[in-house]
Amino acid sequence: MSDEHPHTHEDLTKIHPLAVPFLWLANPKVERGFIWIPLIGMIITILLGLVYPQKHPAPWDKLFFGSWAVIGFFAYSFVVMSAEPLFKLLARDEDYYGEGSTDLEIADE
Amino acid sequence: MSDLMMQINPGFVVILLGVLCALIPVNPVRKFLVTTAPILAGIMIFQNYTSHEVIAGVIQVGPTKLTTLRIDPLSMIWGYLFCLAGVLNAIYAFHERCKITDSSALIYMGAAIAGVFAGDLLTLFIFWEMAAISSVFLVWKGGEGSFAAGVRYLAIHVLSGVLLLAGAVIYGRAKGSFDFGYIGLDAPGAWLMLIAMGIKCGFPFLHNWIQDAYPKASITGTVILSAFTTKLALYALARGFPGTDLLIYIGAIMTCFPVFFAVIENDLRRVLSYSLNNQLGFMVCGIGIGSELALNGVAAHVVADVIFKGLLFMSMGAVMLRVGTTKASELGGLFRSMPLTTLFCLIGAGSIAAFPLLSAFVTKSMIITAALDNGNLVVMMMLLFASAGVMEHSGIKVPYFTFFAHDSGKRVKEAPWNMLVAMGLASVLCIFFAFPWGGYQFLYSLLPYDVDYHPYTGDHVVFQMQLLFAAMLAFAFLKRIGAYPDERRAEILDFDWSYRRLGKNVMVWIDVMWTRLSAHVGNIRSKVIKSSGRKLFQFFSPAGGFSAAAPSGLPVILVGAMLVLALCVIYIGAQ
Repeated sequence: MSDEHPHTHEDLTKIHPLAVPFLWLANPKVERGFIWIPLIGMIITILLGLVYPQKHPAPWDKLFFGSWAVIGFFAYSFVVMSAEPLFKLLARDEDYYGEGSTDLEIADE
Repeated sequence: MSDLMMQINPGFVVILLGVLCALIPVNPVRKFLVTTAPILAGIMIFQNYTSHEVIAGVIQVGPTKLTTLRIDPLSMIWGYLFCLAGVLNAIYAFHERCKITDSSALIYMGAAIAGVFAGDLLTLFIFWEMAAISSVFLVWKGGEGSFAAGVRYLAIHVLSGVLLLAGAVIYGRAKGSFDFGYIGLDAPGAWLMLIAMGIKCGFPFLHNWIQDAYPKASITGTVILSAFTTKLALYALARGFPGTDLLIYIGAIMTCFPVFFAVIENDLRRVLSYSLNNQLGFMVCGIGIGSELALNGVAAHVVADVIFKGLLFMSMGAVMLRVGTTKASELGGLFRSMPLTTLFCLIGAGSIAAFPLLSAFVTKSMIITAALDNGNLVVMMMLLFASAGVMEHSGIKVPYFTFFAHDSGKRVKEAPWNMLVAMGLASVLCIFFAFPWGGYQFLYSLLPYDVDYHPYTGDHVVFQMQLLFAAMLAFAFLKRIGAYPDERRAEILDFDWSYRRLGKNVMVWIDVMWTRLSAHVGNIRSKVIKSSGRKLFQFFSPAGGFSAAAPSGLPVILVGAMLVLALCVIYIGAQ
């Protein structure tokens, strides 16, 4: 007999008891709304940067406002956007070297 | 007895217990030894170290003096760290009934401890090689697919040892002593030793053994391996080459290039291996800067890295044990089944990403600040770029694709209790080492130089959070617009392609060519022999030319010519 979560419709008998209060994390609305947390956090910390300026600023800290946020956003985006061309260049069949998989045959204790 | 113990390198005791472990068939006794050996070594360090350099265990071998024990502030922190990692690893491996793993883990850990307390280069070489040989069994315990990786791992590490020995011998002959202190690049044999250390440290183009062997080792083997080999090499670099400018650039490159491989790699244990390389880069860079702040940062970050990287490998090991794979494309939604493992992984991810109140926040920033003080803005920018990269591969990718993302539908058991205890302790340490009220101060008290660095300043917290929030925003934004790439199963080529594919194919080609050449030469030889035999037969057989009727003058002329020739040879020989 299954015990279903009222909102997520997940079978609670298969969910770890400690995870049940956190099932909302899997809600698509939460996933979509997650973007607001870093956005608001970033705006707040950029504003706080005015209150707590760098004690030992690098040249770019003097050049533009919220310098570390700009570096963080563009560095992260550059790394992720480089994935597609790099994958095309470097990816080969999983058994390219003919040495087999690293996966376990059977997962047990 | 106490005086005798003061002469013994704590690593020797661990190695001895490791050998003993191999002979003990009773699992609980072995587990007791594996857990208590690092504690015993830690007690020995504590008893020996008196805030001044301790030199002991001096052995005279012919004209060579070996100093088997040297404890000073630099080696002390590495020694304690290895003991701490040994205890955590022992708890993590408590469920595993394997004599080979228990024994090799202890010998390997003992060799690493003995290596950092070695006072001379020859003693260091011995334990350098012992660490390599004992640890390969942990790779081979990963199953059939790990054999070739283990062989490559062993070959590369033995090569590293040979280079270290060659460099040490050249250095020792020139200096008249094998004492292991500051070497510097200008010393004889220094380049050989630097390359030897660079191999173990994962310098660019010498790094592939990490991503090759670690993901293929056994579940516990990967966790154990991540703690010792590279950190022993870092210690050797910090001892022999502090302030070497070249290391600043090597380190900066090491922080950046793994980021690009990690983002396209599907196997999360391999992602963590690239992440390990990236963190080593920060420390190599710090060693290159060589200021007191930088070296303190290196020592502190080594402690933090062993704990949080161990924690991340532990969490992926737990996933491997329960799900059977750590391929990101096959995982997702595991927080439903493994909530505690999820929590611990998030703490490890937060630590490596340097969130405030987690360990790297108080350690990595020392190195970045030292880079800024050093005035090298390009390097400083590279370190900042790499910090955003760390957030991508270890801070977000590993926990997100394993425990969240799309639900893979896999419903498994939570990790065994011993794994949870080990991960829980590591998580507590990640928090403790960054705790503002007594936590980081304790870590700083263990560092080799006096520390005048305060991590919890308003600007540090604010600007670090700017970087992290912005990286998270970029992730959320790229996900929302569908620009974040899906995880796909593939083998990602790296520099090891040069010897695993190109080198192998060249050797196969040489082998084929040699076989063909041998066959061809064999054919020619047999043809020549046959032809010569036929000719001789034609001349000397009863039916041959020499037996045929011929004018009597011709044999006389031939015999005369041969006699003249013989006389000439004898005459020349007699001169």
